[in-house]
Amino acid sequence: MQHAPTVDAAHETNTGIDNRKLLMWLFLASECLFFGGMIGTYLLYRNSSVEGPYPTDRVIDGVAYSGLFDIPFTSVSAFVLLMSSVTMVLALAAIRRNDRRGLQIWLAATALLGMTFLAGQVFEFTEFYNEGLTLNSNLFGTSFFVLTGFHGAHVSVGVLILLSLWVMARRGRITSENAMNVELAGLYWHFVDIVWIVIFTLVYLLQ
Amino acid sequence: MAGVMIERPAPTVGEALRRMREQGATYQGVWSWLTTIDHKRIGLMYGATAMFFFLVGGIEALIIRLQLARPGLTLVDPDQYNRLFTMHGTTMVFLVVMPLSAAFFNLVIPLMIGARDVAFPRLNAFSYWTFLFGGMFMSASFFTGNPAGSFFEGNLGAPDGGWFGYAPLTLNQFSPGTGIDYWAFGLLILGVASMAGGFNFIVTIINMRAPGMTLFRMPVFVWMTLVTSFLIIFAMPIITVALFQLLFDRLFGANFFNVNAGGTPLLWQNMFWLFGHPEVYILILPAMGIVSEVLPTFSRKPLFGYPFVVFSGIAIAFMSWGVWAHHMYTTGLGSVANSAFGVSTLLIGVPTGVKVFNWLATLWGGSISFKTPLLFAVGFIGMFTIGGLTGVMHSMVPSDYQQQDTYFVVAHFHQVLVGGALFGLFGGIYYWFPKFSGKLMNERLGQLHFWAMFIGFNLTFQPMMILGFLGMIRRTSTYEAGLGFGLWNMMSTVGAFVIAFSVAVFLVNVVVSMRSKEKAGADPWDGRTLEWAIPSPPPVYNFAEIPQVKELDDHWAKKYVQNEAGETVPAMVGGANGHDEEEDEDEGGHNIHLPSPSIIPLIASAGMPFLAAGFIYWDNPWMLPLIPVGAVITLVGVYGWALEPATE
Amino acid sequence: MKLGQVSAAKLATIALVVATVVATTGCGALGGDQNTFNPAGDVAQKQLDLFILVLIPAVIVLIGVTAALIYVLVRFRRRAGDGIPKQVHGNNALEIGWTIAPALLLLGIAVPTVAAIIDLGGEAGEDALHVRVVAQQWNWRFDYLDPEYADGDGRPFRTVDLYIPVDREVGAELEALDVIHSFWIPKLAGKQDVVPGRTNTLKFNATETGVFAGQCAEFCGIGHARMSFKTTALEPAQFEACLKSIAEEGEEPLPAACVP
Repeated sequence: MQHAPTVDAAHETNTGIDNRKLLMWLFLASECLFFGGMIGTYLLYRNSSVEGPYPTDRVIDGVAYSGLFDIPFTSVSAFVLLMSSVTMVLALAAIRRNDRRGLQIWLAATALLGMTFLAGQVFEFTEFYNEGLTLNSNLFGTSFFVLTGFHGAHVSVGVLILLSLWVMARRGRITSENAMNVELAGLYWHFVDIVWIVIFTLVYLLQ
Repeated sequence: MAGVMIERPAPTVGEALRRMREQGATYQGVWSWLTTIDHKRIGLMYGATAMFFFLVGGIEALIIRLQLARPGLTLVDPDQYNRLFTMHGTTMVFLVVMPLSAAFFNLVIPLMIGARDVAFPRLNAFSYWTFLFGGMFMSASFFTGNPAGSFFEGNLGAPDGGWFGYAPLTLNQFSPGTGIDYWAFGLLILGVASMAGGFNFIVTIINMRAPGMTLFRMPVFVWMTLVTSFLIIFAMPIITVALFQLLFDRLFGANFFNVNAGGTPLLWQNMFWLFGHPEVYILILPAMGIVSEVLPTFSRKPLFGYPFVVFSGIAIAFMSWGVWAHHMYTTGLGSVANSAFGVSTLLIGVPTGVKVFNWLATLWGGSISFKTPLLFAVGFIGMFTIGGLTGVMHSMVPSDYQQQDTYFVVAHFHQVLVGGALFGLFGGIYYWFPKFSGKLMNERLGQLHFWAMFIGFNLTFQPMMILGFLGMIRRTSTYEAGLGFGLWNMMSTVGAFVIAFSVAVFLVNVVVSMRSKEKAGADPWDGRTLEWAIPSPPPVYNFAEIPQVKELDDHWAKKYVQNEAGETVPAMVGGANGHDEEEDEDEGGHNIHLPSPSIIPLIASAGMPFLAAGFIYWDNPWMLPLIPVGAVITLVGVYGWALEPATE
Repeated sequence: MKLGQVSAAKLATIALVVATVVATTGCGALGGDQNTFNPAGDVAQKQLDLFILVLIPAVIVLIGVTAALIYVLVRFRRRAGDGIPKQVHGNNALEIGWTIAPALLLLGIAVPTVAAIIDLGGEAGEDALHVRVVAQQWNWRFDYLDPEYADGDGRPFRTVDLYIPVDREVGAELEALDVIHSFWIPKLAGKQDVVPGRTNTLKFNATETGVFAGQCAEFCGIGHARMSFKTTALEPAQFEACLKSIAEEGEEPLPAACVP
């Protein structure tokens, strides 16, 4: 494997940056444009819905609509996701010092926090649905569900990656030599986390 | 647990997998092509597939031209016409020019930078298969997209919204049937292929260069590939978002482009052109790179102003993000926006002009050999200049109010994409054909091809300028007599068939040349870049020994030196043609360990058409299961990829 | 022999280009109801003037580049016994020159462009004829918004072809009922898209009486090719008479008062 001239992380690169890491950075840069388009659409349509429900309390033509957003609840789930970035860092730090048990614990913790966030999102979606907000009801429903849904899909993929790594770690297949696998997963995970911070700020907090 | 099962396959399965990979490594039989991860083979498959789609798109063009040859013809009805021109545009952009460029990225880039393969060979194979499946999926709509009746009764099912797919015309209400769904999912799948290729080539070029190959010793084609790849990875996500939005509207009743719910159709246009204008440069920059390789070789001079050609390419790429609204002058953006985009569009003419002047200066003082690749490169300069100048005319907002959506626009972008991109790409085929086949293409047929194509091209597209001035609109399935359009349309139709003839000559040439007994040798053109330093066709491992690069045009510098009088002379007896000694020297390669062939990339791509079909027909309980089927195939591909060692 | 081939082809190119230019400038004489080179309104005239303004330098540049290309190809063609040419890598002064020169030329073009954008933009004046243009698949309707044309209930007067008084500004409000269309009367003014959900405006006039072809210019489905209309420019008095006749007799057959 060490002789392979092309693929391997071990291969010396012109920049000194591992090929896979560069790939991940490029992928995430590309993802910025994807989420940029989604978030931009949401902001463009923020005040364009011609009928309710609406995200925040408002009075239109003398009719009062109560807003759907539950900021304290979403703050908690955002905090959960933020914490998962911390545990992700701890997972990488663990395997770098070849602490395989630490790796397992922190990978599992990260995945659990991610799943908690997803559960929160499912709960939120259900609540909104019960309040009459669907993909078809108005522009808010359309742009909100598609934006946060795609983010949720990214988190789900991240959880899948984390669980796969956790299985590998339990079987002793991850060592400090191939810690790059954990680092790459971490890059992705942090990115998804940061995107949520942006969404939380622009969509929920700034009205 | 699923993971356990995959990790410990039954011994028989493992054995079968191992045998499959061994079979792939023999480089013989269909299986070796399905599992190949060799950039040269993937490049050839890209090229052959793009050529197939070129014929499909060309036939669509010929039907369009026949329908428009005279006023009031009824060869096809408006519905068929709309589907044909939609697929003509989509096919030529996404299934011909882009993959033909990708073919050259694959074939040439690793050789030019002195690498044994791309950074991610399996990802490379994945790109190709995804492109193939995406193209096939989209084209299948001809047969399956029309609920009104079968293809053979004349009910074409292909998308009918134009390659630009402007909402709300592309919503269910105005485009029932599933053609647009196939189109959108097809483009999404093709986008995955393009982006995977984009990532791969950026990493390859940044990280895999031979020792001494600094960024400013890279051939211009490598630079243009790098720039194009960056455009791809940043432009594709934007169209991805727009396509998802369109699909949510069509399949699930979302409101993104629903005017009654407060949506705006201009959202689609902004997103489409924010992608679409960089896309134009994705199509043309690789061809510019090819021209920048061909001209120096056939004039035996280095490229004039190398850093300026490189930086103008980079400048074009940056500026391409600030001009998208020039496709939307007539949508009512207001004077301020129109002025800003008008000026930015004018300015993008500057780096384009710089390139043309540098190409002229490259030829100046050279010793120009009029071989077919040079003819195409020179044709590129001439035709592209017309394309650029008509582009300047379009940038002028008020006069563009008259030209927008007329045949003048059709003339303009065919100057750029046929006279420019396609001429450049054909030049590239003639230039590098000997490298990968070991045979030179027949020169007489090549010259015939060029002249027929050149004449046919001008006959087809210059009359369209006049048609535009006379007020003929684009995308019109017919026109009335008495508007003065007839003569020019007839000229254009005749020209289209001359182009078709030239393409036939090309195909004959490929066959004739492949059967020729004459060997091309390693360096038939007295080339300047690294690919000419190795045998033709190159061995699997490309370079027996990774070259040490000392300067720009390194291969040339090894062949020629300056004597005391300051003249450039061959470095040794035989010089230019004396470098074939590597031809039979196969020794060095046996110990080179290459990544193993793999079927996994094909599997990973194969899930996507299933997923897409499942979503298109999700309200049909018999088709809905295609979604889990596609998901399982994809997961098998992904986990197989992660667990399969890259090399054995 | 190679030389002969090359220059013949390049000469053919030049001939073609010259023919194109001659043909386009001669286009005005070619007739055709949608000919943008034969304007009958101030807006179309200004747009044509601007186009000619850029056409001239563009043709000069094209001829210059093509001539230079042919000259280089002929002069530096490979001859028997040629040595290796001098390996010239570039010249910074030249590079700066041919970066700045086109930049100046293009900025020069930008000035009249922006001036014309501002000139042609903006709303129509108070004394203009106000018309609402309603586009839908695949026909046009024209509502005359000025109160004197309203019927007893205050509803605007409506026609299926457009009638305008000559030499008077027309202010059009463009509305689409389904998909995007584009309102275009080639001899009177460049096009303006008709976008559902928003109201675009276009001002123009006719400087001579006559019937001018109008056409939907944005792809709008299977009826796109046939989504056309007529614009009839009449002397002011005749225009009033025409609308009155249409109100009484309808547009089909066209009343005599509406024939210019």
